[in-house]
Amino acid sequence: MHASQPAVTVTNLVKRYGSFLAVDDVSFSIQEGEIFGIIGPNGAGKTTTVECISGLRVPDSGSINVFGLSPQHDRDKIREFVGVQLQESALPPRLKVGEALELFASFYSDPLDPREVLESLGIKNSERSAFKKLSGGQKQRLSIALALVGNPRIAILDELTTGLDPEARRGTWALIERMRERGVTVILVTHFMDEAENLCDRLALINRGRLRALDTPEAIAAEAGMHRLRFVPSQPVADEALYAVGGVQVVERKGRTVTVMGTGDLAASLVNALAASGIQVSELEARSGNLDDAFIQLTRDTASVAADGAQS
Amino acid sequence: MRPALAGVLSHRSRAQLAALLKVQAKLSLREPAALALGVGFPLVLTVLFGEISRYTAGNVGGTGLTVIDLYVPTIMVISFIAIAISLPNTLVRDREIGWLRRISTTPVHPSRLLAAQLILDLVLAVVAIVIVIVGGTAIFGAPLSVDVPFFILSVALAIAEIFSLGLVVVALTPTQTVASAVAGVLFFALLFLSGLWVQPVNVGAPLRDIMWYSPSGAAVRAVLYSAFHATPPVTTLLTLVGYTIVFAFVAIRYFRWE
Repeated sequence: MHASQPAVTVTNLVKRYGSFLAVDDVSFSIQEGEIFGIIGPNGAGKTTTVECISGLRVPDSGSINVFGLSPQHDRDKIREFVGVQLQESALPPRLKVGEALELFASFYSDPLDPREVLESLGIKNSERSAFKKLSGGQKQRLSIALALVGNPRIAILDELTTGLDPEARRGTWALIERMRERGVTVILVTHFMDEAENLCDRLALINRGRLRALDTPEAIAAEAGMHRLRFVPSQPVADEALYAVGGVQVVERKGRTVTVMGTGDLAASLVNALAASGIQVSELEARSGNLDDAFIQLTRDTASVAADGAQS
Repeated sequence: MRPALAGVLSHRSRAQLAALLKVQAKLSLREPAALALGVGFPLVLTVLFGEISRYTAGNVGGTGLTVIDLYVPTIMVISFIAIAISLPNTLVRDREIGWLRRISTTPVHPSRLLAAQLILDLVLAVVAIVIVIVGGTAIFGAPLSVDVPFFILSVALAIAEIFSLGLVVVALTPTQTVASAVAGVLFFALLFLSGLWVQPVNVGAPLRDIMWYSPSGAAVRAVLYSAFHATPPVTTLLTLVGYTIVFAFVAIRYFRWE
């Protein structure tokens, strides 16, 4: 088996805006052909990280390598093969879809056929529509089309399904899958866990500028995710009694139903502890951690992590 | 593309610039404010002052010139102002919505879009000059005896100065709303100083000098002299050069693409 070549290597990236530390010592590498997700809460430093990769921003320290080139020093070369879809970037309102695609195609040395790109994205019918007449989903498709028409080796897609209806989101996901089939390396910035879980081969979870996890979605979910137990106790049970059980971290109530989240062999210790107090458990549902849980877990205990970072 | 550019730009750069020119031209036709002002102003004002000239005695203010003679340079400069003042409308908008930033992710720098827009505006300015000269001389009989080298120099300086001022507004205003407000005020100030309502030869000393040494008044004065086969005063030409340098410096220093 051949180890594939890294498309992007980020080493000890640091970026500040004034006194605000937006990205704090982040390192990861992305393999060629991979769909790599960057997830994290709003303001975590995701966009800043990809903007450094695309050469739109200059890092304060650390280094970035994109197919052997530096985004700072080889900006012009990198722009030839990195396609970027920006968060919140519009086109002139009266510019037509077909015109925008042809304009962008003219910018690159080896572009794809604009008509084929429009067709593959399902917006061929809007070719003669002005940008301002497009729906949210069509605008997003056009934005992806503009990122792809230059025939890039790497596509950076920032929050591309934000504001789309569920059907348009599914459609967009299918497009990204097709990009993978064409061998394009995709860097996907998102704060939707289902999107990351469905699409990404690997994820970097960033919180407050720091890398908190770097692995496959499954591994992150399994490692950091908590087990979740839902049950109805035979008689009322106090929160204190539940928190006293080993491994329990979160208790939630909805009517008589109690939900407990935590780590370890949660079901066994809980049932035993409650039985010892003479309480029976009914309608028990157990679910192992998913990426959502992992996300909450990994972004919750930030204060202590930040303190560790400051000391080291 | 002119052959002179072939030596400067590579084949690919020319193709990119041509594509940008095509798109900016189409957008200009769909948002025709600059076009309407740049062509509409010289047409309407030439007819207006041509008609006034027919019913007014010549030798305005002892200059030996008729009304239309005096207004030919004023109308030309006003056309440049109208074109330049439309620059912020599109460019600030393009920056505000992230279009210039979007282009900066491609191999083409957004300065190329600015270049394409300026080339189109230059063409528009030449069209305005032709309208004023043809209308003023052929229809209303202004006896122009253009000193070609000084006329070209004066017009080139006037366009460079006034377009640079338009770019200063683009550079310094954060949003399209602010840009429109600033451009509107500036527009009427420049129109007044160019002599649209009252010609400098008809007013007293302090205001006349202010007009002569204002950005638009100096442009009018330089064009006026060279349109009637006289050498423009050196102070007027130097004033124009000075304004151009200052405006271009401020525009370049404070220009932002995002």
